[in-house]
Amino acid sequence: MTEETKGVTREGWLLLIATLRLQVRGLSMGAGVGLAWTLGKVAVPQLTRLAIDKGIEKDGSLIFWTMLILAAATVAGFFAACRRYFAFRESRLTESYLRERLFAQIQGLHVGFHDKAQTGQLMSRSSSDLQQVQGFVVNIPIFVSQITMVLGVVVILFFSDPILAAVSLAPLPFINVSARRFSNKIHPAVLAVQQEQAQLANVVEETVSGVRVIKGFGAEGVQLAKLQTEADDIRRESMKAAYIRSRFLPAIDLLPSLGLVAVLGLGGHRVITGDMTLGGLVAFNTYLTMLIWPMRNIGMTIAFGQRAASALLRVNEILSEEPAIKDPVKPRQLPKAGLAQPTGALRFNNVRFGYDIGHTDVRVLEGLTLEVQPGESVAIVGATGSGKSTITRLLLRFYDPQTGSIELDGIDLRELRLSELRRSVGVVFEDTLLFHDTVSSNIAFAKPGIDSDVVVRAAKLAGAHEFIMQLPEKYDTVLGERGFSLSGGQRQRIAIARAIVADPRVLVLDDATSAVDPTKEHEIRDALATVMRGRTTLVIAHRPATIELADRAVLLDEGVIAASGSHHELLETNEKYREVLAAMATPKVVE
Amino acid sequence: MYPMDAVGGKDKLNRSQTRVVLMRSIRMAGEFRRQALWAMILVTVSTLCTLAGPVLVRHGIDAGIKAKDERVLNFTVVAYLVVTTLAYVVGRAQYVSLNSAGEGFLRILRVKVFAQLQRQSMAFFDREKAGVLVARMTADIESMAELVQWGLMQFLSAFLLLFLAFFLLLSLSWQLTLITLIVFPFLIAASVKFQRESSKAYLEVREKVGANLSALQEGITGVRVIQAYAREDEQIRRFEESNRALFRSHMHSVKVSTWYFGLIEFAGIASSALIIGIGGWLVHRGTVSLGTVVAFVLLLANLFDPVQQLSQLYNTLQSAAAALHKLFGILDATPDVDEVTSPTELPATGDVVVNNITFSYAAGSRPALENVNLTLTAGTRLALVGPTGAGKSTLAKLMARLYDPQSGSVSFGGVDLRQASMEDLRRRIVVIPQEGFLFDGSVRDNLLIAKPTATETELLRALDNIGLRERFEALPEGMDTQVRERGSRLSAGERQLVALSRAALVDPAVLVLDEATSNLDPGTEMLVEAALEKLMIGRSVIVVAHRLSTVQRADKIAVVADARISEIGTHDELIALNGHYALLASTWNKTQPQ
Repeated sequence: MTEETKGVTREGWLLLIATLRLQVRGLSMGAGVGLAWTLGKVAVPQLTRLAIDKGIEKDGSLIFWTMLILAAATVAGFFAACRRYFAFRESRLTESYLRERLFAQIQGLHVGFHDKAQTGQLMSRSSSDLQQVQGFVVNIPIFVSQITMVLGVVVILFFSDPILAAVSLAPLPFINVSARRFSNKIHPAVLAVQQEQAQLANVVEETVSGVRVIKGFGAEGVQLAKLQTEADDIRRESMKAAYIRSRFLPAIDLLPSLGLVAVLGLGGHRVITGDMTLGGLVAFNTYLTMLIWPMRNIGMTIAFGQRAASALLRVNEILSEEPAIKDPVKPRQLPKAGLAQPTGALRFNNVRFGYDIGHTDVRVLEGLTLEVQPGESVAIVGATGSGKSTITRLLLRFYDPQTGSIELDGIDLRELRLSELRRSVGVVFEDTLLFHDTVSSNIAFAKPGIDSDVVVRAAKLAGAHEFIMQLPEKYDTVLGERGFSLSGGQRQRIAIARAIVADPRVLVLDDATSAVDPTKEHEIRDALATVMRGRTTLVIAHRPATIELADRAVLLDEGVIAASGSHHELLETNEKYREVLAAMATPKVVE
Repeated sequence: MYPMDAVGGKDKLNRSQTRVVLMRSIRMAGEFRRQALWAMILVTVSTLCTLAGPVLVRHGIDAGIKAKDERVLNFTVVAYLVVTTLAYVVGRAQYVSLNSAGEGFLRILRVKVFAQLQRQSMAFFDREKAGVLVARMTADIESMAELVQWGLMQFLSAFLLLFLAFFLLLSLSWQLTLITLIVFPFLIAASVKFQRESSKAYLEVREKVGANLSALQEGITGVRVIQAYAREDEQIRRFEESNRALFRSHMHSVKVSTWYFGLIEFAGIASSALIIGIGGWLVHRGTVSLGTVVAFVLLLANLFDPVQQLSQLYNTLQSAAAALHKLFGILDATPDVDEVTSPTELPATGDVVVNNITFSYAAGSRPALENVNLTLTAGTRLALVGPTGAGKSTLAKLMARLYDPQSGSVSFGGVDLRQASMEDLRRRIVVIPQEGFLFDGSVRDNLLIAKPTATETELLRALDNIGLRERFEALPEGMDTQVRERGSRLSAGERQLVALSRAALVDPAVLVLDEATSNLDPGTEMLVEAALEKLMIGRSVIVVAHRLSTVQRADKIAVVADARISEIGTHDELIALNGHYALLASTWNKTQPQ
């Protein structure tokens, strides 16, 4: 291990200890119960010795000793069960608690973090990494009781016969070392096998989904050759793992037998010479066999601990990430809406913004200034990549502008509490994300628990009521990845209903009609017009029909507002505006 | 700690099914017969070595120590040492031999199932869910890996151990054996009950883990929407709910196992108490020797461990049998579109004639096409238009024999497509799907899918023919650019260019083109158009059209509606007819850019 990884491992261990501090009581209970088990277990060979020496070899009371062994059996059995229970409860608690913290942290982290993080990685932090931690914690009570057992047994053996003890115990440290080395070696080997399995899965997956291409060109042979390579790789890696197992497992299994041989040889001679009783010999034997499992387990647990420590380090990387977008220390309140005072005034003051992608900064907005009156609707038109959607994201404070500011009703967005801001801005995104929940919960997303009348009214306004009533469970139909799937247009209407329920001060329609079949577009357009009435609205669209919904249109070009006016004015006067619309227009789908 | 391979009720096989699966696997593993036999011998030897320990101890005590015969004692010690060493050597060898036989078997299984899978028709792939097919090749086969790695060995040795230990005990003392057996019925009953309950608990845990993972995934992929609606707290609450449900199901399964492990611990010690108590009494009466009692105490572990192991392994075996059963199901499925044994050669060019075909995707369902007749004259272009689901894509697919019609025929140059070999057919008729599908690998690999035997010159010439050579060479690493999974490194337009180039490489007489409905990036769109135009020169083309411009360039247009061809003719003829097509063309015009 290099100095650096040592430092990292130490940090991981410290984290582990800090995490477990909350569970000191439960873990101590587990350890205490484990000690009680140790007592019962260690007593058995002693009792067996006494039973043989006093009960069988002499004429002592056999029944007495038998009853005592039975009592020890009860103690060991009862406490073994308790220890197991505590061990699992505590380890699952650790896992569960860490997972909740992780999830809460993920929910709170700024969008910039999520842009860079991969879903799969975040998923494995909270599944496989936490499993590693659990795998270690579950071993703690057993670890403690096994350590005490090893110590206890070693002391007993040395007291009864130091020389025999020294000789027979000699192989045991090797078991511990081998177990630890085995665990460290087999882990990467198993991972390698899994990796190869994943690659084979990829080949199968692409073959099944690309079957048209394969059949179309008769390329079955090419794929079969790929698969054979992967199957060979799996076999090769599996055999590597098998060789590791073959090197360690039989040795770990048989090392203790060397101790038993020593006991039989050395101890046997001592019994013959009368220096030892036969019962003592049997007890010695039994003690030795009792040490096999603990020695193995202690070695494994240490290896588990190392893995848990580095897993926890990875988890902590996320937990210690500071959200870049936060509530202000002294938040201001948005002015209340009243008849005299219309709300929803938006002002972009010289906003500059660029995405930070790796090392290069991609400039998007170069000093954008735009003012939207309360209740006014503005269509933002621009070529792909001109930054239309960036405006939405800045408005929601997914990001903050690098310079300049955005004001809602005269207040800088950064001075508002995030929840207040985001409740005031409602966005209908291009692709609607439906959650694994009922239709009504998906519509009432912004206001969970709201009256079902409101939900139905919103659905009717959004033109969604009709198809919802045709779903198997109507408003109670469960949607989402594992539920009922809707068409693009249907999803869009759910999203519009969602925005209606949210009843925001400012509404943003971010390409909201693009997924809708043109023949059905007019239905949605009516719904949109209803929602937009009297509400400040930004419409990001490229279909003329949708743009026409807005009071005026602005052209976003090279990071600034290049032109402003009604749709028809701009069509007539602005060359660039015509170009942008023509490029986006799609003479597609006629069906 | 859980029986990781808990089998759901519906997957469980009955006895005769299990027997069939077993016999077939043995036959399939025939290639490894020798290795497997060797492995079995090794397992037997190492089990015998394990059992020899306590027997030697007994011998040492009775004939050596108690008889005060040092020579016998020394001899026994040496024998014990030899047996231990032998056990080690054999132990190593058994891991290697069993694994190499097992992994070899799995490899054959993977390759065979995959090859059979690829032989299936398109209809098969439409029917079966992709996820299920992938699972057959991955999860189902992997569920056997555990068995191969150590399960089978453990099963064999546990079985032998139980068997041999029992007879050994019986030969030492039938009285003590009887005493030992008192606990057994309880132990077995407890194991069976535990297995049953823990399987159930495990299935429950697995379901909760799944729900928890999707809640997690939803929270991660949906984070933007969640934040946009300030829903974090609600989402966290819901996640905690699923997380706690998972915790509870974990705890339930722990409770199920807790009593069992306590009981096993108790039973182990308690039965040695019985042996000592009753055995001691028998020693007093002179019925058994003290050495026998000691050997019994030592051998007890060899009876208890195997029972536990066997009950656990039984589950693993069951799930492996269930997996094999499903895999054999695939191996037994005969492809519905199969090759003739003595194919007729297809001519280099000719008309494609659709003769009165009727076709439905599933037996008994509404036909997707009914009594359709159509002729594509060599070298002309035919556009298929019509509403979604009317059957135009189906017709195109039948013309390339991706499916076979239930009645009627499709012929090329007078030869029924079913009489031609697949290889020949794929050289004459090529399908270009809506979206270019790419496989993990380089651009070159992806092009050569179409014709693995093509030389570099052939490949470059094909690219030159449709004017795409420079475009591909301009990629970061040229033709060696890795496209990554599903071609994610290329744009949709570039993927389409790959699809066109594949067709150019094959140089077919007939192109079947499913036009893309979605837009490509404007830059590549032009290139795609130009390449396609070059590709179509001198070939017959059937295009499932979505754009007016495409339709206008066709020599003939067929309107497919309600599983039939309702109108056919040139653009002008059909406009004059003032039917379905005329209506279509007018809506088309409306959605044109202003």
